[in-house]
Amino acid sequence: MKELPQTVFVVDDDDAVRNSLRLLLKSAGLQAEVFASAPEFLAKYEAAQPGCLLLDVRMPGMSGLEMQHELNLRGATIPVIFITGHGDIPMAVEAMQHGAFDFLQKPFRDQELLDRVQRALVRDSENRARLRHTDRIRERLASLSPREREVLELVTQGKANKMVAGDLGVSQRTVEIHRAHVMQKMEAGSLAELVRMMMAIS
Amino acid sequence: MLRAAMEGSEDNGNGAGGNGGSIPARTIVVAGQSSQRTREVLHALRGFANVVWPTSLESALAQAGSNEAACLVIADDLREEPIDEFLQEARELRRNLPIFVITDPDDVAEAVSAMRNGATKVIEIPPSYAALCEEVSRAMQ
Repeated sequence: MKELPQTVFVVDDDDAVRNSLRLLLKSAGLQAEVFASAPEFLAKYEAAQPGCLLLDVRMPGMSGLEMQHELNLRGATIPVIFITGHGDIPMAVEAMQHGAFDFLQKPFRDQELLDRVQRALVRDSENRARLRHTDRIRERLASLSPREREVLELVTQGKANKMVAGDLGVSQRTVEIHRAHVMQKMEAGSLAELVRMMMAIS
Repeated sequence: MLRAAMEGSEDNGNGAGGNGGSIPARTIVVAGQSSQRTREVLHALRGFANVVWPTSLESALAQAGSNEAACLVIADDLREEPIDEFLQEARELRRNLPIFVITDPDDVAEAVSAMRNGATKVIEIPPSYAALCEEVSRAMQ
């Protein structure tokens, strides 16, 4: 599936800030979309759109922190860089505790902002790659029969076929057959790989 | 790697310290150089039973990594050891250990960096150590 291009979303109620950020991002070859308020962004944002978010803390109506909370409720993983001219430690701590990628105080140097945006875009790519990986594992997991799921759970606990057979009340040969199916369906080359897959989705 | 020893550090006499060995259950580990700030932190935590102020960063890390540690308080800068690196190492040792960092007021950049590197909370001093005691009490529960 073709990956959508990354976009830097800017949410700031200040026209001048929005425009200068758009120009700066464009000058660095980045695609940018600007929004004057949190509700405006939330109405248009789709989680499938890769990128990062530059978010003003203080805005009339819904604040940046409130918008971050809303994004968290929606399960959004987009990296958020807060920008503010009136930041303090409790505000920064709250933003970071709720998963902000960064918190930048105005005034900042253009390059400083661009560096952080680039890091956030890398983080977003990594997050999305990880999600695709875990989605694939879950799809494979869903293809297992109930008995194969039981075998999977026991073998990944480190139990030998003989013990699994005892636990499930079936023959060792039956366990071997189920285990082979599990390895094939999960596309696992080894037990260690299978364990890693289960850890990735746990 | 941790190399810098905290010159002038001392055990506060209220618990284990020094060699990074075993510590009592639910111990509060305080890391910081011998400074006014560290002394203030130790004073603020005087109501808690087991508070240790290890004599080196190595032992602070070892004690923070012990399952007996209830929380780690980074009271002050750690001389040659960057706090961020220290935080990362502590976080690697104990993923769920509450780690509180004391910082100067308005040093937002340091607070953000500390949070990114694994601090549970950054507490600015002044105004008071009440927030620290509250957080530590929560960690003890």
